[in-house]
Amino acid sequence: MRSGTRAVLFLLSVSPSWAIAATDAPTNGAWQALRPQLYGTRDISESGDQLMSVDAPASTPDPSATPVAVHFGRELVGRVHEVRVIIDNNPSPLVATMDLRPGLAVDEIDLRVRIDRFTSVRAIAETDSGRLEMRSAWVNASGGCSTPPSAAQGGVLGQIRFHPSSDDRALQISIRHPNNSGFQVDPRTGDMIPPHFISHIRLSVGGQTLFEAETGISLSENPSLRIVAREPLPAPLTVEALDVPTQSRFAATWQGQAAGTH
Amino acid sequence: MKWRAACGAFAALLGFALGPAARCATFSLPVEEVARGLFVHVGQPLALDAPGHDDIANIGFIVGTRCVAVIDTGGSVRIGRALRSAVAEHTRLPVCYVINTHVHVDHLLGNAAFTGAHVQFVGHALLGDALSRSREFFLNNYAGDLEAPATAAQIVGPDRSVPQGGELELDLGARPLRLHAWPKAHSDCDLTVYDAATGTLWSGDLLFVQRTPALDGSLTGWLAAIDTLTAISVKRVIPGHGAVSNDLRAALAPERQYLQSLLADVRAAIAQGKPLQDAVRDVSPAHSGWLLWDTTHPRNVARAYQELEWE
Repeated sequence: MRSGTRAVLFLLSVSPSWAIAATDAPTNGAWQALRPQLYGTRDISESGDQLMSVDAPASTPDPSATPVAVHFGRELVGRVHEVRVIIDNNPSPLVATMDLRPGLAVDEIDLRVRIDRFTSVRAIAETDSGRLEMRSAWVNASGGCSTPPSAAQGGVLGQIRFHPSSDDRALQISIRHPNNSGFQVDPRTGDMIPPHFISHIRLSVGGQTLFEAETGISLSENPSLRIVAREPLPAPLTVEALDVPTQSRFAATWQGQAAGTH
Repeated sequence: MKWRAACGAFAALLGFALGPAARCATFSLPVEEVARGLFVHVGQPLALDAPGHDDIANIGFIVGTRCVAVIDTGGSVRIGRALRSAVAEHTRLPVCYVINTHVHVDHLLGNAAFTGAHVQFVGHALLGDALSRSREFFLNNYAGDLEAPATAAQIVGPDRSVPQGGELELDLGARPLRLHAWPKAHSDCDLTVYDAATGTLWSGDLLFVQRTPALDGSLTGWLAAIDTLTAISVKRVIPGHGAVSNDLRAALAPERQYLQSLLADVRAAIAQGKPLQDAVRDVSPAHSGWLLWDTTHPRNVARAYQELEWE
């Protein structure tokens, strides 16, 4: 049931109607349309930076890879089971739906996203008790940019890199992938370039899932996910990423710093 | 040709009463003959979203005995036309080549002013692809710099290309130009032009003088290109931005120092496990005197980070 709903939402989110909706001045239009689909009429609390916050640059240095950090305060750490990130004015507003499993007390989740233009970036967290918390940040992407996002910068498709912090509490996972939107026309043929993106990321230890995310084309080229936990992350930790449309599965395992594999 | 000059003089004579020279059918871009038959217009030190942003790059032309090569055309069709007018004021010879040093708008959106049956557009082998990726973005963000109504067709790409790592010689009549297409550096399609007759190197944006260097290709690639450029001997260099110099090595030194610091500091941030946003916040090398630092440097850090995290 739940995954069915998500599939529908995803199709909705990449349909061109959103591109039209996104031509207005900065609004929360996409959110107003998504809210009843995702959360119905449930109450959503929006106050208190101590509980939760969203950090994003007010003026992004690189609109094609803008860092967005979702922080959880003491009261929420270990109690959040789902987080959605939404960019109101992107052609595909729903960036990711992330499931956090018991056993991983997450302080912070960082993503890198594409920002089309001036927009609100929001994160909605659902706790184990069914409470909803939403925080947002405004990001301006205009000015100072002479070029569009680059073509994929080479490397091996699906290659995965780990960058841990020295205390193993934080791990950045980067996946070599163009994460194409599919909104562009191939100038040689006039055809739409089909979307090619990472649709799913799963982190597991010993076969048990700790974290998984459904992702889309608002993640940057070479998608990057960084998780900061309260305790050192367990290892060996396996990352799997699913490619659409090929259904190829990319995987790599982080051995932890003690193993000295990176 | 004469009427253009007359038009400019007329406007100057009547001055404010008549309005600016732009009131004439076309105005002529001021250029300086920095070497025999080599004319340069030095762009303004403005941001890419500031009024006048279409006139920020160094553009110009070289005159042979047979024809003229234009090197970069400015950031709008208006500037392109004004450059064309400047060419006509200095020679009766036709333009036979328009050479673009790379894909960025400030060097290329004036191309449409030069289209014609006998004009060849020349660029790096990857310039065509870079333009294919960029046309929609340029139309969305720089439509005001094209002729209304703005169309993709006005963003003119190369007819002739130089293979990456290779060279092409063009002759303007007793004036051979040597074009070199670089591996990914400032951008992924950098091209330099060497005018043997005067010993002048037209570096494009491989060299920024005064204006903060902007990274859009590869930081390690750019430093490698700088190493190569530092070792060659030329009499004069026309940078992509900033003042013309008679000492290429000295002109490259500040840019090299900045990019080396950027490389070392971003590598260190990645090694410490810092995320992108912390690197952007923390990486701040000494930067006395660079123009537009506050907007350009953070973007350089973000770009460098995304390159170096894969090392």
